[in-house]
Amino acid sequence: MPAIGVNSLFKSYGGVHAVSDVSFEVGRGDVFALLGPNGAGKTTTIEILEGFNKRDGGDVRVLGVDPGERHNQRWLRTRIGVVLQEMAVESFFSVRQVLERNAGFYPAPRRVDEVIELVGLCDKAQVKVKKLSGGQQRRLDIGLGIIGNPRLLFLDEPTTGLDPAARRMTWDLIRTLSEQGTTVVLSSHYMDEVEALAQHVVVLAKGQIAASGTPWSLGGREFGKVVISFMLPDGVALADLPVTPSRCAGGKVEVDTDCEIEVLARLTNWSMATHHSIAGLSVMRQTLEDVYLKLTHDAEQRAEVVVA
Amino acid sequence: MSTVDTRESDPKSVKKDLRLVLHQVKYEQMAFWVNRTGAIFTIGFSVLFLVLLGATNGSQTISSLHNITNDQFYVPGFAAYGVMSACFTMLAINLVTRRETGLLKRLRLSPLPTWALLAAIYISTAIVAVSQVAVILIIGRLGYGVQFPTNWLALGLVLVVGIACFTAMGVAISSVIPNQETAGPVTSIAFFLLLFLSGLWFPISPTSGLATFSKFFPVYHLLQAMAAPFQLQPGVSAWAWGDLGIIALWGVGCGLIALRRFRWSPRRN
Repeated sequence: MPAIGVNSLFKSYGGVHAVSDVSFEVGRGDVFALLGPNGAGKTTTIEILEGFNKRDGGDVRVLGVDPGERHNQRWLRTRIGVVLQEMAVESFFSVRQVLERNAGFYPAPRRVDEVIELVGLCDKAQVKVKKLSGGQQRRLDIGLGIIGNPRLLFLDEPTTGLDPAARRMTWDLIRTLSEQGTTVVLSSHYMDEVEALAQHVVVLAKGQIAASGTPWSLGGREFGKVVISFMLPDGVALADLPVTPSRCAGGKVEVDTDCEIEVLARLTNWSMATHHSIAGLSVMRQTLEDVYLKLTHDAEQRAEVVVA
Repeated sequence: MSTVDTRESDPKSVKKDLRLVLHQVKYEQMAFWVNRTGAIFTIGFSVLFLVLLGATNGSQTISSLHNITNDQFYVPGFAAYGVMSACFTMLAINLVTRRETGLLKRLRLSPLPTWALLAAIYISTAIVAVSQVAVILIIGRLGYGVQFPTNWLALGLVLVVGIACFTAMGVAISSVIPNQETAGPVTSIAFFLLLFLSGLWFPISPTSGLATFSKFFPVYHLLQAMAAPFQLQPGVSAWAWGDLGIIALWGVGCGLIALRRFRWSPRRN
């Protein structure tokens, strides 16, 4: 049984569709990313999964139960963890105090010390929340999300506002949780984050699914155009190269292609045969961000056409 | 109906639930005392007012109230003030702040049941209110020689009804206040205006136009009900049933508004 199953979900506010015919599944222990521009329906979808918001139609199962049913809510809330976009911790308590308070809500919480260590706040345990830096507060927030030892963790933009080191730490934490069997539902604006963590991505735009798949295959990315670039070797003219350059600037040659294996083979064979070394060789696929921007842009344009 | 119940179930236990409420009460109390503003505005203010007013004209007598002293007049008044500021003003500001900073939403998404949270907030508010009444009574007795109430049972009833109703009013007004910035001014102005009109600072004649107006509001009646158990005037019952009835009506009305309009999420989005 998957951790989450959503089938043909609908939700509208005052006649405007916020979420329309959305279906997806999240496997147990997976890291699942929900992407989309602001207003695409991400928060609405996540709030319905958390049981915080009611749906208008469709079938939703979270850890096997319907989160819309009142009698399931307490059961569900002891088994999910939620980290909201905005930090919400009482500023006058110490790190340990808030964690102990929230631990008391759960029948079988994680140990407070373990959580403090997991989020890297060992030397801040006795410090008041208001004295923490923004990044440290965010990590405490994540700590509160996992204190109940959840099977399913919702993370809404967990690393927004974190410095690079704290971001990497949070990524490691998410990977550790995932390895331990926790399912993670992630929303993020950072594509590198999604690429580093998620096994499955759904892109929402205008309340509908614009694309879904693995981060490396999204939108046909694994077959799309590739840019191969390298530095032009000394004493070689562009015309001497075994491939046709698309651009050349400052000694850097770029070749656009959709059959990168052939181009690379010709280049390397030529290099070996003529003893010209090729410096700075790189193969660049479309980034996830490129694909994401194109998908959401297309979806918005389609929506405008429908309106017109 | 379509739910196939294959999940493991959590054992239901009243004892565990009660422990959960007490757990939350402990942190509500910590929040109140650690976050000193609340303590200063409720307990600090009432003590300060009582001491200042007592120092200026405490032993003068009030002819319209059968020559009781000002101190005798102020002690029940500030005991009532304590209940109202803890249950109404502080609670309303506290709830708006927690709602707008996302703390309520976060609690909503935790396994702490709503009833347990509300019970904990209520108990914690009651603890503050009762300790405040105790402080005022003790200061009145030791500092100004004001006798304790003659009917403790009647005082107990006033506290139960007063705390319940003003808590409901606090929750109700918090649900109509849009943001943190206005929470303090709106509740304080409404509260102090009613206190003034209802005769906390000076006695008003029960037949005056001011009294006629104030009688529509619960503040006047709590002041009256709180004074009754002291039986300062001959022939007045310790049980102010009429006043308690009007307070209870306000409590029920505000309770209904609170239930209908209570929100967990910040208003700004």
